[in-house]
Amino acid sequence: MTNHWIDIRNSDCILIMGSNAAENHPISFKYVTEAQQKGAKLISVDPRFTRTSSKADIYGGLRSGSDIAVLGGMIKYILENKLYNKEYVANYTNAPFLVNRSYKFKNGKFSGFDQSKKKYDKKKWGFKTDSKGVPSLDRSLRDKNTVFAHLKKHYSRYNLKKVSEISGVSKSKLLEIYKTYAATGKKGKAGTIMYAMGWTQHTVGTQNIRCMAMIQLLLGNMGVAGGGVNALRGESNVQGSTDHCLLWHIWPGYLKTPRASNTNLTKYNKKWTPVSHDSLSANWWGNTPKYSVSFLKSMFGEKAKKSNEFGYNWLPKVDDGKPYSWLDLFDEMYKGKMDGFFAWGQNPTCSGANAGKTRDAIEKLDWMVNVNIFDNETGSFWRGPGKDPSKIKTEVFMLPAAVSIEKEGSITNSGRWMQWRYQGPKPLGNSKPDGDIILELGQKIKSLYKKDGVFKEPIVNMKWDYETHGEFDAHKVAKEINGYFTKDVKVKGKLCKKGTLVPSFAWLQADGSTSSGNWLYCNSYTEKGNMAARRSKKDSENKIGLYPEFSWCWPVNRRIIYNRASVDLKGQPWDKKHWVVKFDGKVKDGKYVSKKWSGDVPDGGWYPMQNPDGTKRKDSKHPFIMRKHGHAQIFGPGKADGPFPEHYEPIESPLRKNPMSKQYNNPVAAVFNTDADKYAKPGSKFDIVCSTYRVTEHWQTGVMTRPQDLLMELQPQVFVELSEELAKIKKIKNGERVVVGSIRASLECTAVVTKRLKPFKIAGKTVHQAGLPWHYGWRWPDFAETGNVIEESSNLLTPSAGDPNTRIPETKAFMVSISKK
Amino acid sequence: MDITRRKFIQVTAGTTAGLAVSNLGFNFEEAKAYSKNLKTKFAKETTTICCYCAVGCGAIVHTSKKTGRAINIEGDPDHVINRGSLCPKGAAIKQLSENKNRLTEPMYRAPYSNKWKKVSWDWALSEIAKRVKKTRDKSFEKKNSKGQIVNRTTRIASVGSAALDNEECWTYQALMRSLGLVYIEHQARI
Amino acid sequence: MTKSFFIDTTLCTACRGCQVACKQWQGLPAEKTVNKGSYENPPDLSGNTYKVVRMSEKERNGKLKWFFFPEQCRHCIEAPCLETAEDSSAIYKDKTGAIIFTKKTKDLVADDIISACPYNVPRVAKNGILTKCNMCVDRVHNGLKPACVKTCPTGAMQFGDRSTIVSKANKSLAKLKRKSSKAQLIDQKDLNVIYLVEDNPKYYFKNAIASYKYEGITRQMAIRKIFRPLTNIIKAVERIG
Repeated sequence: MTNHWIDIRNSDCILIMGSNAAENHPISFKYVTEAQQKGAKLISVDPRFTRTSSKADIYGGLRSGSDIAVLGGMIKYILENKLYNKEYVANYTNAPFLVNRSYKFKNGKFSGFDQSKKKYDKKKWGFKTDSKGVPSLDRSLRDKNTVFAHLKKHYSRYNLKKVSEISGVSKSKLLEIYKTYAATGKKGKAGTIMYAMGWTQHTVGTQNIRCMAMIQLLLGNMGVAGGGVNALRGESNVQGSTDHCLLWHIWPGYLKTPRASNTNLTKYNKKWTPVSHDSLSANWWGNTPKYSVSFLKSMFGEKAKKSNEFGYNWLPKVDDGKPYSWLDLFDEMYKGKMDGFFAWGQNPTCSGANAGKTRDAIEKLDWMVNVNIFDNETGSFWRGPGKDPSKIKTEVFMLPAAVSIEKEGSITNSGRWMQWRYQGPKPLGNSKPDGDIILELGQKIKSLYKKDGVFKEPIVNMKWDYETHGEFDAHKVAKEINGYFTKDVKVKGKLCKKGTLVPSFAWLQADGSTSSGNWLYCNSYTEKGNMAARRSKKDSENKIGLYPEFSWCWPVNRRIIYNRASVDLKGQPWDKKHWVVKFDGKVKDGKYVSKKWSGDVPDGGWYPMQNPDGTKRKDSKHPFIMRKHGHAQIFGPGKADGPFPEHYEPIESPLRKNPMSKQYNNPVAAVFNTDADKYAKPGSKFDIVCSTYRVTEHWQTGVMTRPQDLLMELQPQVFVELSEELAKIKKIKNGERVVVGSIRASLECTAVVTKRLKPFKIAGKTVHQAGLPWHYGWRWPDFAETGNVIEESSNLLTPSAGDPNTRIPETKAFMVSISKK
Repeated sequence: MDITRRKFIQVTAGTTAGLAVSNLGFNFEEAKAYSKNLKTKFAKETTTICCYCAVGCGAIVHTSKKTGRAINIEGDPDHVINRGSLCPKGAAIKQLSENKNRLTEPMYRAPYSNKWKKVSWDWALSEIAKRVKKTRDKSFEKKNSKGQIVNRTTRIASVGSAALDNEECWTYQALMRSLGLVYIEHQARI
Repeated sequence: MTKSFFIDTTLCTACRGCQVACKQWQGLPAEKTVNKGSYENPPDLSGNTYKVVRMSEKERNGKLKWFFFPEQCRHCIEAPCLETAEDSSAIYKDKTGAIIFTKKTKDLVADDIISACPYNVPRVAKNGILTKCNMCVDRVHNGLKPACVKTCPTGAMQFGDRSTIVSKANKSLAKLKRKSSKAQLIDQKDLNVIYLVEDNPKYYFKNAIASYKYEGITRQMAIRKIFRPLTNIIKAVERIG
């Protein structure tokens, strides 16, 4: 979330699309409700009428996989009716940038497509620059090569008729949605988007979100209270675990994982440190070397020295251009290219798309370590449905982990708040906190390598002093993540003593004099104490619910990021009532003469872009400081599938043609080709669009909720939701058991026949939609109670196809059949 | 037809229950018994953050000083986000920790075996360490096919976890990266 | 002082935190259920279930409505169950206004008590004791809100002194009336659990409003029906008529 949960109450219009907040983030509705009671409008756009929709002022039912069509239509509406915040768009976004003439869009494809490699040459989408690389621009937005002009042209095709034909949302409903949401383009009004996996899990997932980000930029909704682009993250610490980068492509703090071509630290830093010669661009990633070196210092402590490049080459590198993501990982494992596997606090045999492939893949391993609170479908895969233990070689170690209330440490919520929690009961039986298991395993491996081993330096040199009295000490690690001064140094004229905690990332250095496990968390545990443990209920002076001394949030406790875009060029808020920051410096002769920002921690404390008399300041910075050029990107040339979001049909679609263009699917979508990767073609018996989702009463694969009878009582069985119309055709009665099939597998479940799903009219034909929760699996509760396999995972049905940028699987739009059992 | 309640009573059973009850009022002794018995009165109180979605709601954990186990978990009224409220999953957290289905011992399943075997922590972790070393050392790539230094193994992979605390996540990535793993993924990718 | 609930169904998201919080605090076991084609579960109130969020899908004026109704004991101001029991050691009114069933309800004629309730709330537990919501009086006496109210995310459930609650309810009604002419507070004057609905209560749940299926019995009477067995009522009405 660019903003945070409480801030939703400051919104004038809340769009919930690609998420189902009332069901999956129930407490968020405290703030949705509060906003509504103050007059805000709530719009719910979802293939199903959900518990969220039941509270909405406007509901639009769309076919799964048609979000870009609907959003693209909104962009057209905003531009044509001039509802955008022109001052914002012209000054804070790259709308005025001039695009190179090599950029083109034709027949559904952007220029630079290489058919054989199925890849785009992104260089074709560059900006026109001066000799120093600073983009040329036209802030009047009149030049026909501006991003703005291209934007207009691109979305001119997204007319109401076309959008309605693709999405199934009626033209009048589309207009109602557009009109209501676009009203937040007015200065002082704010609209927010709450999205989740309903947007990410598509082969156009990244572009779904980009499309909305573009709308937010056009309407001036980024950086303001009650605005932003808000990903409702689904796990208590999926934000923190992402920040600490338990992901192949990034190091903690979103630093890049070294590529093989980054042969030394200098080359690595050069490759991943953007350079801007625009004196008005803060280009924050220009600090990359300070963060990468400080990270290496945390990894290897005193062993990380300038002479050995701080241990840079001790860490593994990935091949250039090769993905190592989830789908790729299990693809390799399925092909027998892996021997060992850790499934730590995760249940991939139910959570991943095409779960049958995952189950078969694990069978090919020599050993697996499964760490969890309960036995699960992964740990016990060898005794699962269709498996013969006597034929499965994989050794399995199953380790019992403590529950969150049995240990101490912090987690980071979706609003980036790092919150400390304490131990209540001790770990049950012989279970242990994950931290202790990791620590002890590390000690054992270290001691083996002390004797001998291949390339043992990284292992023996890894800093591993995180225990106190033989136990994992979360405080010690939290301090390491924040970082220390590793020697006495003078920074900013102040002497910083060796061994003291670094006050914030502005103090980090690239010479090895500081450590920081994760620069984004530098400032979270300082000499002032554990910031995450703070509990003050005092609000900030702007009274917008920031609660700056309750817990801590990254970066540097800034509660709303991009907040300098919440003010005009003179530093005064667009919204006087719900202001986030404002410039309160002294004025003399129409010029600012002293620097003072009030409210939230500003996104950089420079002077505003202009003085009160309208003259430009040279000591200011553009507000989007994380972008090389300081401007938010309406045109996104860094994406794998094009600088503008474009509607493509999902890999599995009910249509034979894409009504929008000649390009049927996303041409660079990730698809796989083992015998376990099958994709249904239009016209096959799989003619019903399906999506997976979650319900309030369960969580993820259900490993934590299915062994709890209080929750099983509420949602006891896997079900499929379908319309009364479809039920009639298939002669299915409400509550009876049916079989849902995809080209990959079939699943028995209970039919929930409901008015909340309706057939769509898509491109002239009737298209049915169904939906399945993905919380179920064979291990709990049935197998435990009866020894039978009754309920199974809906991910057995979903396709292993992924978004080209993130490679997140397309589990929100695939094709199924439904029949009586 | 207009029948008052009084009249209605008269024409039926002729009972005087209504009056009798209103004279009795409430039973104060019973009420006192209730107050005394508030089950959380002598428990240890700690705060926690809910382990499910990422709203980050606060909860209060009441741990019995007698048994050392959680006896009640409910919303933390002093938490600025949820202000005491919780969804059904949050309201049921006690059943997550106090659950007979939990794993409480390390378990091992040997190749081709059809059952779990209870093992000690020391044995399990030592054996895992040996497997890691064996697989890593056998498969370690110092250079890739282009001759570039890569110092990695692609034959061990890890998934997880958003269910870990920040400090555990950081420590875990340190261990996995120092071992040379590149296939490191978790819930954020699915 | 008399306490009341205000349940604003227009704010209820049917998250069912209340159902679980109730069981968690009261220590009630879960029931073994099956999906019968709806999210609603358990299927009914029972000896182990004091609260069930009722859900119903209705098309009204071309718009789909999904109505939610957290069903529970209404803690009647003049409670027919209590009047029927005639035994304050079995059913009594707490000083909070809570109608409390004690273990001694085991000795009452269960059918009489259940049929006396105009909302069909009391149930017989396995041990023969009659059960229902007890307003979490243990919590209330210690200054805590009932478990269900405390856990409610949106403020759909509120709890407090009756006068405050009644005035809140009336304010919310007035606001809702502007949007929905059929908005009403259900049986407000007679109950300490006041529901606000935007449409006909019967669309929410069959027992949302006191039933009065026999001609000649007013709503007020139905709430206060203290007669047993049911046939007597009919006879009585016939006699008067």
